[in-house]
Amino acid sequence: MIRMIGGEMPEFAERLPAAGGDLYRHLAGRLPAGAHVLVAGPHEPGLIEALADGRTVTCLLRSQPDAEALSAQGFTVLCGTLAKLTGEDRYDAVVALDGTGRLCSPEGPQYDWAESVRVLKRVMRPGGTLLLTVENELGVHRLADPGTPTAPGTGEWRPLGEFGTAPGRPDRLAAALGAEGLPVSGLAAAWPDPAHPTLLATPETLRYGPLDALAALASGAVADAYAGKPVLSDPRRLAGAAVRRGLGAELAPAWIAVAQLATRPAVTVPLAPALYRSAGTVVEVIGEPDGTWSRRTADGTRDTLPLPAGRLLEEALLTAALGHDLPGLRRLLTGWMAALPTTAAGNVLVDGDRYTVLDPGRPDQPDALARFAHTLDAGGYAHPWPAVTDMARLTEVLAGAAGLAAAPEPPGPTGAPDGRRELTARIDELRRRLDDAEARSRFFEAELEKRDAELGRAKVQIAAFSGSLGFRAAKAGLGLARKARNSLRKGQQ
Amino acid sequence: MHHGNHFYGHAHVLAEYCGLDPADPPRIDGYLQHGWNVVDGLGAGTPYAPGRPIFVWSERTRRRAWSMNRPLATVIGAPFLYLLSAQSEPDAASAQSDPDAGGEREGTIWYPFHGWEGQHVDGDHQRLIDEIVATEPGPITFCLYWHEFRDARIRAAYEKAGRVICHGYRGYMRMQTDARFLHKQLAELRRHRRVASNRLSSAVFYGVAAGCEPAVYGNPMRLAKEDGPTARRIPREWPELHGTNPDVTAARATAMAELGAGHLASPAELRAVLGWTAGREMREAA
Repeated sequence: MIRMIGGEMPEFAERLPAAGGDLYRHLAGRLPAGAHVLVAGPHEPGLIEALADGRTVTCLLRSQPDAEALSAQGFTVLCGTLAKLTGEDRYDAVVALDGTGRLCSPEGPQYDWAESVRVLKRVMRPGGTLLLTVENELGVHRLADPGTPTAPGTGEWRPLGEFGTAPGRPDRLAAALGAEGLPVSGLAAAWPDPAHPTLLATPETLRYGPLDALAALASGAVADAYAGKPVLSDPRRLAGAAVRRGLGAELAPAWIAVAQLATRPAVTVPLAPALYRSAGTVVEVIGEPDGTWSRRTADGTRDTLPLPAGRLLEEALLTAALGHDLPGLRRLLTGWMAALPTTAAGNVLVDGDRYTVLDPGRPDQPDALARFAHTLDAGGYAHPWPAVTDMARLTEVLAGAAGLAAAPEPPGPTGAPDGRRELTARIDELRRRLDDAEARSRFFEAELEKRDAELGRAKVQIAAFSGSLGFRAAKAGLGLARKARNSLRKGQQ
Repeated sequence: MHHGNHFYGHAHVLAEYCGLDPADPPRIDGYLQHGWNVVDGLGAGTPYAPGRPIFVWSERTRRRAWSMNRPLATVIGAPFLYLLSAQSEPDAASAQSDPDAGGEREGTIWYPFHGWEGQHVDGDHQRLIDEIVATEPGPITFCLYWHEFRDARIRAAYEKAGRVICHGYRGYMRMQTDARFLHKQLAELRRHRRVASNRLSSAVFYGVAAGCEPAVYGNPMRLAKEDGPTARRIPREWPELHGTNPDVTAARATAMAELGAGHLASPAELRAVLGWTAGREMREAA
């Protein structure tokens, strides 16, 4: 069923992907059964179906073609702009996991973030729950984006980007919602992008939790999202470093807030310290009373296992390479190849001599070592063998350093993000090598001239000793004349 | 590449370590540091092909080379340590106390500071000999560099005070290289309790690595056209190795670090680093 509330966009279908994915579906599934839910903005059908399981769902879409498509699937749809949502109908929960940016149509008032939140609040029943995603305009996804969200024709008809009014920090988001009468009961930072997060972690966990493992998870989440895509600089390192250095919550691509219209005795959508997707299942990271961390599938189907300790091997290897710590680098390479030779360096945690697979759901990589050689080379990282610029040879060096008898074949397409900064570094490096090659060619030319002259003299000598008597006499005369000239010169000094 | 790679049979020692023919080491893709120095690892005035690496002994030398505009310096450790790893003593620790475990060490092997083809040493050998004889507690073996060894006058002066040896000719332009130079040096060092010189030099470090107690004292002599500030920098920078009886533990720690202990590459890694792998040769031939 479709209800035209006014301000709809008859010709326009949303161009950017709708919010969705396993983690959003998991959160939506925690809303109480029997609830009336408003899904505001574009969300994936799979997510809406999960919400509709045991609940009554109404969707709000500005695009008429999108609204009609959803209605055809049997959902109740309100088609129009946010300003036309009057508050006649009230809901137990409002789900706005696409944010507030795609709720207003070109018709009527153009609400900013706070005004949009106020309208959503207006349609909530007392005690109602709001699930809201807020994009971080200074998040890692923005820092790595080669495009600008503020350019004409890139996104919205008002491409405000970081000039917009949405809160810029998780604590400010909580404060802003609280000020609107929507106290926050849960907050999580999301990677790798606002629309399809595969990792959520609360700001507390990102401050006091298992930062090394979380950094590794963030780096892995970003690696999947940016495989082969153009970026400004490698977002895996940005995400990993941000989390490891305690800036995870501030530099996450988005935040998800769970807010209540009034405080309730029970939290309706509890957030685990961290949640991530692994091979199609949602895994929860939980703190144990003794201060350690565990992981378990969110549906409780498998046993609770300890969260592996230690740092992401890929980062540890890069750190050793950059620090020219040859013994350390060899130890890491050898330990890795002995323990987990076909697990990617980006999926191994190293803690002393212990090497653990971070996410067993990821596929094996038989060419893991060669891929790391590629990472070292393509990433423009300094390493202890600066003169080894050929990929196959660098792989041979790493294999030797890892204690392997034979070097692996060079890797196929690695699916690494295609970074502009790394590209610039490579161009600079190639320039340096060209300069060196030209200088070397001049050096060899000079050497060659020197050798040619030596050879010429040697030939004359050979001719002198093996030639005719007349030639030898003439040469001897020349030699005497040279001697006389030299002694004359000496006398003059 | 440069004929200096063959000095003292360094390339030959590395080839043997890598499992290749020590009699015919392949061309090294860069320049080997052939002696301990306080500059970028290369000898002064080495004609250097730009863009080729220097294979230096220690991380400290690599950092210094970097600061001297040699960003391609690569640490491999001293060839002497590679030789030592292949020819380890049966029981190095007990060699001094137990005469049966490889022969008793006795006396001092003394390396008077040497010149080379391009720079001659200027100094009073007799005064130095007198000081050595007055200092050393046991018998003295003087190891002269071939340059001084060939000089009958200098050699005679030392022969009056002790045994005089020469490890061989280091070679020049790949001619007459004594590929067993380091082997002979190691064997001699292992016969002595102390190693000494009037200048901190490779031989002192090698001696420490071979289990000798080091000493650096006596008139340091002067090298023709030598850079004075560099020579004065050395005792200031490495005081723990100077004097007639330096602390052995501190001296050994420094000496091993300068030789690059802990940084030696495996044969496979070294082959790839030096450009000695079969794959590379095939690629270049193609």
